[in-house]
Amino acid sequence: MSQSPAPLPFIEGLRDASSLRLPGSGHAWLDTARRENLEAFVAAGLPDTRAEAWKYTALRALGQRRFALGDAGAAKHAVDPHALVLPGVDGPRLVFVNGVFRADLSRLDALPVGLTLQPLSQVLEQDPEALRFALSRHYRETSDVFARLNAALSGDGVVLRVAAGARIGKPVQLCFVGAPAQSELAWHARNVIELGEGSELNLVEHHLSTTQNKHLGTLVSDIAVHDGAQLQHVLLQNTADDSTLIRRSSLHLGAKSHATLYALELGGALARHDLHAELRGNEARFDTRGVFVLRGRQHVDTQLSIRHQALNTASESIWRGVADERARGVFRGAIVVAQGADGSDASLSNKNLLLSTLAEIDTKPELEIYADEVKAAHGATVGQLDERAMFYLRSRGLPYTEARALLTAAFCRAVFASLPNETLRDYFSDAVIARLP
Amino acid sequence: MTIENDSPAVLRDNVEVAAALGRRYEAGFVTDIETDSLPPGLSEDIVRKLSALKGEPEWMTEWRLKAYRHWLTMPTPHWAKLNIAPIDFQAISYYASPKNRPKSLDEVDPKLLEAYDKLGVPLHERAKLAGVAVDAVFDSVSVGTTFRKELAEVGVIFCSMSEAIREYPELVQKYLGSVVPTGDNYFAALNSAVFSDGSFVFIPKGVRCPMELSTYFRINAGHTGQFERTLIIAEDGAYVSYLEGCTAPMRDENQLHAAVVELVALEKAQIKYSTVQNWYPGDEEGRGGIYNFVTKRGDCRGDDSKISWTQVETGSAITWKYPSCVLRGDRSVGEFYSVALTHHRQQADTGTKMIHIGKGTKSKIVSKGISAGRSSNSYRGLVKVEKGAEGARNYTQCDSLLIGKKCGAHTFPYMEVKNPTAIVEHEATTSKISDDQLFYCRSRGIGEEDAVSMIVDGFCKQVFRELPMEFAVEAKKLLEISLEGAVG
Repeated sequence: MSQSPAPLPFIEGLRDASSLRLPGSGHAWLDTARRENLEAFVAAGLPDTRAEAWKYTALRALGQRRFALGDAGAAKHAVDPHALVLPGVDGPRLVFVNGVFRADLSRLDALPVGLTLQPLSQVLEQDPEALRFALSRHYRETSDVFARLNAALSGDGVVLRVAAGARIGKPVQLCFVGAPAQSELAWHARNVIELGEGSELNLVEHHLSTTQNKHLGTLVSDIAVHDGAQLQHVLLQNTADDSTLIRRSSLHLGAKSHATLYALELGGALARHDLHAELRGNEARFDTRGVFVLRGRQHVDTQLSIRHQALNTASESIWRGVADERARGVFRGAIVVAQGADGSDASLSNKNLLLSTLAEIDTKPELEIYADEVKAAHGATVGQLDERAMFYLRSRGLPYTEARALLTAAFCRAVFASLPNETLRDYFSDAVIARLP
Repeated sequence: MTIENDSPAVLRDNVEVAAALGRRYEAGFVTDIETDSLPPGLSEDIVRKLSALKGEPEWMTEWRLKAYRHWLTMPTPHWAKLNIAPIDFQAISYYASPKNRPKSLDEVDPKLLEAYDKLGVPLHERAKLAGVAVDAVFDSVSVGTTFRKELAEVGVIFCSMSEAIREYPELVQKYLGSVVPTGDNYFAALNSAVFSDGSFVFIPKGVRCPMELSTYFRINAGHTGQFERTLIIAEDGAYVSYLEGCTAPMRDENQLHAAVVELVALEKAQIKYSTVQNWYPGDEEGRGGIYNFVTKRGDCRGDDSKISWTQVETGSAITWKYPSCVLRGDRSVGEFYSVALTHHRQQADTGTKMIHIGKGTKSKIVSKGISAGRSSNSYRGLVKVEKGAEGARNYTQCDSLLIGKKCGAHTFPYMEVKNPTAIVEHEATTSKISDDQLFYCRSRGIGEEDAVSMIVDGFCKQVFRELPMEFAVEAKKLLEISLEGAVG
């Protein structure tokens, strides 16, 4: 814990946070939860790299910065609606600009039967009681410091429910847009997502910016996938290269449910994602596919942890990383098989390409196994492009940079091969290529 | 009642008896020998007394005090996946030595010799047959080193650390603490302050040590800790293979063992360090046993040098041990082969660190963890490739075998790569002995326990292959004994 005599500018910036009026203020339980979380965050401060969860991601520089509490002009920033369009994604859409819901950019008419989709700010003003359990949570882990801050200051986000048995055909798009403002600001968004028994949902989470900005965004998502439900979650993180984005997603999977996550991390000066999945019901399955492609001084940290705690559960994780220039890619993939979770089948593969002498990759696949009827394996590599493949392409007349881009794109492409939405798959591929030197 | 088990020769003699009484920790006898020991407690005063008792020069006392003062400022580490009751450092006696200090091996107390005989450590004529030079450390002091004359003829120095401090102060001053500095970590700092003895090996330029060197550590007295310090230096082009074995009596209390081993390999030198660790592991309920906190590090200082660690860890209630290689010289090689077995309530958190600094450095890690009973067994490793380590290469393989439903097997590998020409690979698997394998063996008339030990033996083969032959036989037997009662 940092215990510097003078408070950090980051903490100093929160001085007036307790008097902030947020959606839902006035409900005693919510006020209490927000106050307690704020006090806990301020008391603990920002963890240093001695904390295992932050070993490879230093928060020292962030601590020296002061962010404005929210954006008063968030409702007015001009955002080009075309920038929000993703090919192959044409369903309902919810848009947040600097953490604030924007009805004018969203598409909430004609929601399919069985889908409830509302901004959190609305729900908090109308009937916050239904979210009491989710919003009065306390976070105690060092890895969750920003979740505390989020719990204290978030007033908007997504509340999404799929009724039991409903199959939502068109993908639902959630956009988190960073827009320039008077000063560097911090926004906090909170998602509560629930898939009823036997339901199906395609979710697309998109982080982007209209222009360069240095904001800090935090996003906490709770996703419950009930028995037999199926979730496909596509995550495209392409936020401003100077911004900071810290996310925590937690998934609970019921019996025979199946969730698949496709993540593409491209933007951010500092982007962190803590992704926790608990396989709580028998035969639940969770698959993740992820890629990061970094350049400049980007620092992207993905902390994946999957907990098998029921019979015959399965998980398969395939992650690829590319770091160029002075970028640093961090990956932790922890698999826990709890006592009694017999029949668990877990595998994790993390391969990384290091393209520059100043870039760095830190990876840590972990296995914690407390049951014996299990199959668990992980593999991780850090290396460079195959020289022979490079030679082959160059001998056929491809310039060095092009050959390198082609092979790097191929390295990443394999991860998204199973993404059913073909148009989106191609878009991802192009987005990767566009990021390569 | 106990039986000796540790050398193949003795093993063979006692196979029948061992089979009859096999389910016991066989090195758990106490030898009734008068000991001189310091009163329990730790303070600057104790450190000074210890140093004075050993007749050390001023610089050594100061070195210890510096470490002690640093240790006082350090917090106890909690990062390992170990559940350790707080250790009362004031309740431990930091020095115990047999009262009749021998002048030469011939004067060694016969009871002591008997104790080593029971352990199967060849201190006397048997040593000649075994062809292994032995330094035996009993509680806090070295009680005898064999084959010194033969080794001296080729220029090899093999003696106890206390002697080295007296006889070769310039070598000790030059190398002691140069690989593991006094303030390196909590237990290394403690060791630097209070280490009592250990082995010192110096292989001069171009010499290939003509025989295997070996140290045998034994904790005998109660309420004592053992803090040994080993320093091995291989000059340019030298080669040495070194074996280490450990045992302790069965006691209800937890005893502390905090050792430091430093290896220095200069240009083209090779050091092979093998350990069979069989400290008392505690009983079925986890009462007693040794707390084993060891810092082992090898420094490949010269180009083309090589350090290889092989360990078989079956004992200790708690194992906290990470034999590491600092690959400083260009094209230097580090290897780590490990079998760690935990049973009952044993806890092990062990692994290695490979720090690639020089160009074209290579490292290989093969770790096999076996957990049974209610034990917890973790591999924790770091492979770090620094910016300048052009073309560095690492391959890591970690396999865990689970026997039973209440044990845990964990893998925590860290990879930090800063050079784009490096290739680092890690693979890990966790599984149990499959029913198919067992069924196959049983259908051929092999009993369940034998089948399990066959399968475990196959699982560990990659590591056993790296051990010197005598040790490999011992290690295999040790695994069998440790696993008894694990199945069925």
